[in-house]
Amino acid sequence: MQDFKEKLYNYETPPPEEIWHHIAGEINDEKVIKMPRHEKNKIVFYAIAAAASLVIIFVGSVFFKKNSSPKYSSQIKTDQQDLLLAQKIKDSAQLNQQILESIINNRKEKKEIVSKEPNKNIDSKMYLTVAGPEGQPVKISPKVATLIISADDGYPPKPLWSKEIRKWQKIMLRNTISPTSANFADLVQLAANKQMYND
Amino acid sequence: MQRLLYERFSSKMYGVCLRYAENTEDANDVMQEGFIKVYNNINKFRGEGSFEGWIRRIFIHTAIEHYRKKIKLFNISDLTENTIESDKLNALDSLATKDILNIVNELTPGYKAVFNMHVIEGYSHKEIAEILGITEGTSKSQLARAKTVLKKIIGTRFTNVK
Repeated sequence: MQDFKEKLYNYETPPPEEIWHHIAGEINDEKVIKMPRHEKNKIVFYAIAAAASLVIIFVGSVFFKKNSSPKYSSQIKTDQQDLLLAQKIKDSAQLNQQILESIINNRKEKKEIVSKEPNKNIDSKMYLTVAGPEGQPVKISPKVATLIISADDGYPPKPLWSKEIRKWQKIMLRNTISPTSANFADLVQLAANKQMYND
Repeated sequence: MQRLLYERFSSKMYGVCLRYAENTEDANDVMQEGFIKVYNNINKFRGEGSFEGWIRRIFIHTAIEHYRKKIKLFNISDLTENTIESDKLNALDSLATKDILNIVNELTPGYKAVFNMHVIEGYSHKEIAEILGITEGTSKSQLARAKTVLKKIIGTRFTNVK
């Protein structure tokens, strides 16, 4: 009698494999719903369409933002202005160079430039009117024109003039202000500079 | 973790399920339900007694719950355990476990439950009465009746048995 009790108590047999799958599914709360094939295809199609739409929207928004950015447009504006100004300065510098060279090389032309306005008083003939760095008219003495040309150390070399100009530049650099003929103090300073130059 | 526990005890517990279930499909259901209960209540195991014993009790309770509706217990007051001759049951010892199981499975769910719980698992009639919601007397009478039926089955199957 004892034998058959033990046999039944210890009876073991492997369960079907599918039981574990059911248990695992229950533990993980996995609910697998089988869908028809055409439903799957439909979902895949919609997923691809949605992904493509998102990519288009993203690329479009990035492109639009880049073009319509106020910072970007103002940057372009500033760059254009800088280019125009640089061109202006370059043009005026070239013009100055041409005028000065022509003055030095051609005495006749120099006279023509000087006497732009014949009705003005005789003092005006003592000056040349050239374009400044920003295109503004600047009056200079014809004698100074040679000095300015020599200051650039260009060809042909002018060692004597260059030496004198460097000396003058050093004196001017010692000053904290650039003396002009506009006020009395500057005139005093200019006179002092001239004294130093002569010494 | 769950997989390891399943691999360790699934064969033994499936044996328990087959003893209490009416057929293989029902045994599979009890098996699944039982392991889910084990996993959900594993933190309630206090370490009192063996872990296998704790799992086995869960499976027995699950099987009883599963068949509670099918189990119809009748109080057979005129039959007692003492009146049942057990000599014919001894014939089961010579049989293979699968054959014994097949014979026990021929019992009705009510008889089978009491027989399994008392004879195989070792539950007292008081415990069986509490679990099944019956009186101790009913448990005893059910067991006596189960033994009688078993003897009849054995008598018809094995004519050489007295």
